[in-house]
Order: sequence, then structure tokens, then C-alpha cells
Amino acid sequence: MTLRFVTSGPSDTERAGQALAPLLRAGDVVALSGDLGAGKTHLVQGVAAGLGVPDAVTSPTFNIMLVHRGRLPLYHLDLYRLEREEELIDIDFFETLEADGVSMVEWGDRFPHALPPEHLRVEIHRLGGDDRAFDLRPVGERGAALADAWLSALGRGAVR
Amino acid sequence: MIIRPMSTTDLEAVVGIEASCAAGTWTPAMFQSEMTAPGRTWLVAEHDDHVVGFGGIMVVGREAHVMDLAVDPAARERGVARTLVWELAEAAVAAGATRMTLEVRPSNDAARALYASCGFDVRGRRPGYYPETGEDALILWSRPLPATLEAMRAARAGRELILAIETSCDETAASVMRGGSEELASVVATQVDFHARFGGVVPEIASRKHTEAIVGVVDEALERAGVRVADLHAIAVTHGPGLVGALVVGVAYAKGLALATDLPLVGVNHLEGHIYAARLQEPDLAPPLVALVVSGGHTMLVKVMDWGRYEVLGKTLDDAAGEAFDKVAKLLGLGYPGGPVISRLAAEGDAAAIDFPRAMLRSGDLDFSLSGLKTAVIQYVERERSAGRELAVPDIAASFQAAVVDVQIAKAVEAAVATEARAVVLAGGVAANPALREGLRRALEHRGIRLSVPPMGLCTDNASMIAAAAHDRLAGGYVLGLSADAVPGLRLGGVSRV
Repeated sequence: MTLRFVTSGPSDTERAGQALAPLLRAGDVVALSGDLGAGKTHLVQGVAAGLGVPDAVTSPTFNIMLVHRGRLPLYHLDLYRLEREEELIDIDFFETLEADGVSMVEWGDRFPHALPPEHLRVEIHRLGGDDRAFDLRPVGERGAALADAWLSALGRGAVR
Repeated sequence: MIIRPMSTTDLEAVVGIEASCAAGTWTPAMFQSEMTAPGRTWLVAEHDDHVVGFGGIMVVGREAHVMDLAVDPAARERGVARTLVWELAEAAVAAGATRMTLEVRPSNDAARALYASCGFDVRGRRPGYYPETGEDALILWSRPLPATLEAMRAARAGRELILAIETSCDETAASVMRGGSEELASVVATQVDFHARFGGVVPEIASRKHTEAIVGVVDEALERAGVRVADLHAIAVTHGPGLVGALVVGVAYAKGLALATDLPLVGVNHLEGHIYAARLQEPDLAPPLVALVVSGGHTMLVKVMDWGRYEVLGKTLDDAAGEAFDKVAKLLGLGYPGGPVISRLAAEGDAAAIDFPRAMLRSGDLDFSLSGLKTAVIQYVERERSAGRELAVPDIAASFQAAVVDVQIAKAVEAAVATEARAVVLAGGVAANPALREGLRRALEHRGIRLSVPPMGLCTDNASMIAAAAHDRLAGGYVLGLSADAVPGLRLGGVSRV
């Protein structure tokens, strides 16, 4: 079964992220995949807004990881520049995912085996123009619970 | 501000300041008896005939204990406390001490920040030290005082020798500089060759290559400068922002060198370094200035109110300009780094061929956004490809570059006009882009505002710009302790909007 929702532009994507924020708790991992320009950072910006992060959430491509303080710490990772799985150790990837916050991992499909047994995969597809499809692929119980809760929150009108 | 010994006539003012501080517990009788006790030095800071702060030490052997130090809340943020710390240090050294120590409450953030930026390290904890609250005390120790004070004197006289180290991203760099302006040597071991294969800065490679290169780079800088480690006054290092794995190599190396030599360690913000690069080129450049810092990891407009005092006026809300160049270059199959190849191709293309969006041009603030432009280029390329047309790469490069540059120029000019800046500094690796340099120069010329662009070797990452900034930090009494760590998200300036 595919769990999918569709957004119609960056601000719509941010609203979807905002709807996810209240459902998240410490230790949750969301792995995002999709081409350049798919809207991964926009989704994370929405989550950050929903977590009450006061700073601008910019692309972590350069720094690989940016930490933001909100209701929960938000670890915003970007694996775009990594080539080998061993490099995850150099960036403290595993410690970060197990820490006291929420991890949003851009290009999370790069090393699928490195992701924890419970997480939510989100594949973003461009549908043409500014429309984007978000396919949720939950892994483990926590992933399934998050996917369900997110879709029902969106169904309540947060996003068309 | 005048610093002078405390006398009994100061007691009323001193007790008043003590009482106005939440952490103050000293009574008039305590000050009275302390002032005349042996081995003590008590100083007051006076401004406009008013006592605005005071501090005292007790010297025992080679240790000076800071008994108390407080500043009138109305006179804070003016460097009174820092001046008192270093004047007390002078008194301590004169009385035979080599280090200072003190206790501070873990909750006293202002005091901890002050002492951390005077090179004090936390070396222990006294449980339940403060009887009123039962709070623990942290025990702080300074670095060796004589070398630090000598380095500060040399910096104020413009004759200090600084070894600066920069490893915040992909360049391992070292520089030896005298007086903050006379470059004796500058060495940059570029890692771009290693990265070219990977289409970006790979942190693992960055940190490993820094580790391999740093000893040789520092040795070569010292050798070219004809300077021995024993001749140096201070070690400076970039401690943020940047890639953590890269920063820690430079920070750890600098700390090791500072420990082995007892020399003071000066931490410099990488972005501040980029701004100082302009002063190396034009020594008479004077604030107020506006700096446009554009590189692979940064895109921001900074108001330089004074050297060392900054306000971030605007920054990118998503991608940095250099990152956008890199990603678009990768999309077009042009390799890394993206900036040079795109600007080269753009020179052959038509900047008006494709109407890419100028994001945030009329947003009413000084922030930037580049992710929409990136998406627009991607969509354009896909449309062309699916229509079976061959890509006009020079036109795409020229049109993309124009979209980036137009917004950068418009906002830099707006910032310069709004802040009545005397000059605009264009800094960071993207300053190499000829369209940005020339376009900004023309736009500012109309308004009679000068543009300062450091030469290319000073725009890309280098250690001379770090040495230049370190000169002012040292002269101002800002040094780090040996527990200092790399700060990947280090911000610029006390006043930051974001």
C-alpha cells in the first residue's frame, strides 16, 4: 500500500512539514529522498517552524549537519556529499540519530542500511510544475505510527 | 576609562555595585579589611569621575586568586570587566604570580563568557561552595599570564608575530604575520583536486587531508617567514563556522602548539576573517562598512559598525550562492567547483536568454533565497531535454549567473545606502566571479560608494585573513583557553537577527 499526499508548491510543502512537527518525539528519524529541487529542505523548514525553531533553516549541504533548537532539538542532516558509508562515522551520524532530538535526513536513501530499524522514509516526486508527491514508506512500528498520524493530520485540512 | 588602585573613599560606590549584582555577597567590612591585607591588589575602573567597576586579587606564591570582580549594570558591554581582568593580571605578574584562578557560579553566564574569552579554563568544581544557595562553584584557571600580557602589549604596539591556522573547509592554510598587516608568509595547500572527483566537499576527506597536510603547511609558513616558534607571540586559529571534522584539525593543532609554547591562543570567526581580508588590501578602510560575504557555505550581508562589531543584516534562507553554483554545475555535468566553470561559460552566453526568477528581489528585507532558482534551472533543463533539444549550456550559465548576481547586487546596494556605509566589502570565494565584481562596482559608483574587493588569494580561504582578525582580537584582550572547541555553527557578532 502506498501512502501518498500531494502538495502544490513550496509553501504547501512547508505546511505539510508543520503538520508533522507536533507528532514527532525524541529519537524519531525521517529520511528524505528526491532529486535536487524536490523540496526536501522546504519540508524540513516546515517541521522546524512547527517545532518552534526561531532561526532560519538553511541548506545543510555545506556543513553536512545543522542543529536547531526548538521544542525538541532538530538535527538537519544532508548526505548529498558523502560517498562511502564509513563517512557516516566521521559525522557522528549514529550518535546523532540516537540523541535527544528529531533527525531529518536529506538524501537519506544514500545509505539505506545505515538507517535505524524504526524510521519513516519519505520519497518526494516531482509531478510537473510545483506539484510534488510525497510517498511515505514506514519502517518498523514507529514509522507506521508516524505515517498514519501524519496522513490523518493532513486529512484534517492542513494540506489539500 | 581610568584604572587605579581602590581607596577607602571608593567604598560606598564599590558596595553599591556589589549590591546591584545578583552574585554579590561582599559586605563593606569585608572590603575594608581586604584592602589592607597583605598580598592584595584592589583596582577600580573610573569613567567620567564615576566608579563603574572594581576587582581584587590575592597573590600567594605563583597563583593570583581573583577575590571579586563586578561592573555597574549600567556600564556593561563596554569592556570594563575585560580591562579589569587584564589590569589585575598585570598586577599579579608584578607580584610574582604566573596564573590567575577564581570561582564562578555555573549559572553566571555573563561571567563565564567573560572568563572563557580571557582564556580561562574550567579545571574543577567545589560542591556547595555558595552557602546562600548551596550552589557549586566552578574553579577557573587562566593560561600563563606573562606570555599573554606580552603578546597583548606587542599587538597594541603593532609588532606582534602571529601564526594563524585555517582549516574550516577544504583548504589547509597557515600564515605568519607581523602587526596584523605585514604578511611574512602565507601557505595554502588546496584540496580541491581531491574533491573534484566527488562533486563537493566530503568531510571525511577534508579532515583526513587536513591531518596529513597541517604539519607541513605550518612548517613551510614558518620557514618562508624566517621565523622560529620561539619568536611568535600568539597562535591564532579559525574555530568556526565550518565543517566540524575540518575545524577540529586546526583547533587541535593550534591548541597543542599553544600548550607546548605557553603562547596565547586566539580564536577567529571564519566570516570575520573574510571581512578582514579587505583591510589587508586597503589598510585605510574604515567602518561603517557593509560586507557581502559569498562563498560555498555562506551568503550574508553584514554591517561592520567597527572592526570586531558586526550586525548580520541578511542571509540566505536556504542555499548559499556558491552551493547553488556547484549544484547547477553538477546538473549541467560541468564538474566541481561550479563557480569558475559557470562564469567562464557565462561569458560566451546570453544572460537574457532565459528569464530565471530573481527571488526575494522585492522582499523588503536583506535576506536571500536561492533554492527556487535552483529548481527553476532544473525544470528548464528537464523541459529542454524532454523536448529533445540540445542544451544551450553557455546561455543557461549566463542566465543563471545573472539571476544570482542581480539579487546580490541589489541587496548589497540597498544595505549600503540604508546604513550609510562608506564602502562595501565583497568577500568570500564567490567574489572571484567577474560579473558580480564588475556589476557591484558599477552599481556602487553611481552612488559614490567605494567597493573593496580583496585580491583573489585573499578572497578564497587563507590564513592571512585569520591573522589580520586575530591581531585585533589579541589587542582587545580576547583569547581562548585550551578547552576551547571547534564551533561549527559559530555566529558573527553579538547582534544577530536570526
